Amino acid sequence: MLNYIREKFNSFTKTDRHIAPLAVLRMAFGSIMLVSVVRFLLKGWVYAFYIKPRFHFTFYGFDWVRPLGATGMYVLFTILIITSILVTIGLFYRIAITTFFLCFTYVELIDKTTYLNHYYFISVMAFLMILVPANRYFSVDVFRKPELKNTYVPRWAIDIFKFQLFIVYFFAGLSKLNYDWLIAAMPLRIWLPASSHLPVIGGLLTQLWVAYVFSWFGALFDLSIGFLLINSATRKFGYLLVVVFHLATAWFFKIGMFPYVMIFVTIVFFSEDTHRKIIGYLSRIFSKRDTITYNTGSYQISLAPKRIIYTLLLLHFSIQLFLPFRFLLYPGKLYWTEEGYRFSWRVMLMEKGGTAFFHVKDPRTGKKTEIINSQYLTNFQESQMSTQPDMILQFAHILAADYQQKGIKNPIVTAESYVTLNGSGSRLYIDSTVNLATIHDGFDHKKWILPFHNNN
Amino acid sequence: MRKKIIYPAIIALIAVAAFQACKKSGTSPNSTNSAGFDRVGMLKNLSTNIIVPGYITFQASVTTLDSSVTAFNASPDLTKLANLQATFKTAYEKWQAVSTFDFGPAANENLRISVNTFPADVTQINTNVTSGSYNLASLSALPAEGFPAIDYLLFGTGADNNAILVQYTTDSEAANRKAYLAAVSTIIKTKTANVVSAWKTTYPATFLAASGTDVGSSVGQLTNELNEDFEVLKNFEIGIPAGTESMGTTFPTKVQAYYSKISLHLALLHLQAIQNIYLGQSAAGNGLGFDDYLVSAKATYNSGSLNDAIINQFATATAKLQALSDPLANQIATNLTGVTAAYAALQLQTVLLKTDMPSALGILITYGDTDGD
Repeated sequence: MLNYIREKFNSFTKTDRHIAPLAVLRMAFGSIMLVSVVRFLLKGWVYAFYIKPRFHFTFYGFDWVRPLGATGMYVLFTILIITSILVTIGLFYRIAITTFFLCFTYVELIDKTTYLNHYYFISVMAFLMILVPANRYFSVDVFRKPELKNTYVPRWAIDIFKFQLFIVYFFAGLSKLNYDWLIAAMPLRIWLPASSHLPVIGGLLTQLWVAYVFSWFGALFDLSIGFLLINSATRKFGYLLVVVFHLATAWFFKIGMFPYVMIFVTIVFFSEDTHRKIIGYLSRIFSKRDTITYNTGSYQISLAPKRIIYTLLLLHFSIQLFLPFRFLLYPGKLYWTEEGYRFSWRVMLMEKGGTAFFHVKDPRTGKKTEIINSQYLTNFQESQMSTQPDMILQFAHILAADYQQKGIKNPIVTAESYVTLNGSGSRLYIDSTVNLATIHDGFDHKKWILPFHNNN
Repeated sequence: MRKKIIYPAIIALIAVAAFQACKKSGTSPNSTNSAGFDRVGMLKNLSTNIIVPGYITFQASVTTLDSSVTAFNASPDLTKLANLQATFKTAYEKWQAVSTFDFGPAANENLRISVNTFPADVTQINTNVTSGSYNLASLSALPAEGFPAIDYLLFGTGADNNAILVQYTTDSEAANRKAYLAAVSTIIKTKTANVVSAWKTTYPATFLAASGTDVGSSVGQLTNELNEDFEVLKNFEIGIPAGTESMGTTFPTKVQAYYSKISLHLALLHLQAIQNIYLGQSAAGNGLGFDDYLVSAKATYNSGSLNDAIINQFATATAKLQALSDPLANQIATNLTGVTAAYAALQLQTVLLKTDMPSALGILITYGDTDGD
């Protein structure tokens, strides 16, 4: 058994693979990031999400992350644009991808209102790309310093991306294996009819059986696509599925760049021959000189960084495999409590909406006041906050601090929040008698979330 | 190992076949359209029978108001003052029916905040009248213009009509006051004319074309504004004056139409107008509205139908308001329990309209991407 593992490990670390897939991944990732960041800027979201709001919902343990003010935020996004370009062309690659990772992740950590699995995925991919020499082939760095050029890399440098993508799809598939998705066809039976204005298939989207077909197909797609892409016999068909599936979701739902990101990065599954063809094609566009006629050595790193990289990878993938299951440590219905929901590749599973009324009470006089949420939060923040307990708690603390400052000692903050989940109809979400001002956030179960009873 | 790969592949293949098959049959949508809700039909009913007629009636009342202002200013007397006050009340009533539609043409004109930011800033109005120079286009001037400003100028500048008339005849600032009244009335008239002109020409086509359910769609904007407007009713017309947002300290003077004392009357008209939009109810009868949309989506609430719950809550809120009487400012002083009961009824309706309704219909009401698959 040990020998088997050692053998496997050696095949990942010692076997050399052609570097072409890494170079293509670098260009694909860099260019799609460039488009994503520019799109984000053009939509005015830097202002709407990071400059305009007076308060932000930071992640637990990341209270120190603050938006950098208008100038700072635009500088940050300019850096993201520049580093995306540098990554794409492979110039100052390691510095560029490291800077991109840090800046992108910083932006994401500012406010969980904007949390999307899609953004988390980009942080994860950027992190993994720091660890690999994706600039040592078909890059400006190689053009600048030909001695940097490598034709071969250890197998792990490519396979970590395949493994990561496999995890993303497979866990997304696993999370769909539940009653709501498979038996009730929720939330697609709400979402698909909402797109009934689309040409050609609009009328079909209002049919219930279509919601079932989409639900079941979606689950099967997510569960099987990793296998289809890994296996060379089914790869082309698998990739066709990837393209069709993601384009279809892009058409039906407001999911931004995510479908295109996935269509781009799953190219990494193709064989090195395919990638060499892609590079050959690109080099014919950009220069007359064929840059891939001569071979140079394989990528070598000394033992110490190698150890660091292996440790990081082991740690990273252990976390990747654990995080999606941490919800099992909490009681109650996951979709309702959302304890252990984020960072688990749970996508499109819930149609959840809420309205929350906060009250601040002066314990001295017993008089209370209702909060107009919009005086503190943007619409987007308010709507996200209303359905997520940790954000409700954070907002209660913001209010407590504000009223403390207004001269009310130890204000009592309560929340009367009504939430509807997958068509359940709204019902009271958290215990409206609990003084949230005195409750500390943490990873333990939030006892003040009322249990979900489906009475329909 | 091989089997592990082939098995899901076969399943996926079958699923794809089904997926592709349904795509193909979709080319003849007419045969399958029956189960879907006719969103364009709803938009058509709302625009043709409610929005456009509502605006036309409102514009007529605003034009009448403006000509009574002109007539009054030319030779102020008690008869013309009473007539002006009556035309003002009519225009303020008609406004309640169109307050919701603050998107598209009305959003371009900032109509809602321009004509109805209350309570009126009496100090600013008086300063403006005294100085005779003011910029009513600035944001800070919003509480010094619109219906609330006229409400003060026509009803609040004296203890009775004789005293008020003096402000426009023998008072040292009479000329300035008349000019201010005219300026405020002109802005309402101009902005309304611009909005009505857009709704009479190009905008209905835009409105019907945006037949999706995302933020920029007409259903999305309508839902958003319906809720914004419902909060105007709940918070500004009732809640804030009753002290719900100020540790119980009441502010009776902050009600809508404080000086003309028709606050409750207007609030009831406002609630009725929002209910009509929800129901698709107009002089032309009961057409397609959000009620039909919710019924077709089989939306549920507390083991019953969501539509029933919303209709019942409209009835409850109306009854609670009807149990009060004008002037609302006095009720806040003498019958606060009754006022807060009305507020609570409106509060529950907020949840149904803001959370249950959009969620049951898959209407997006905020910007930003959602999670993809």
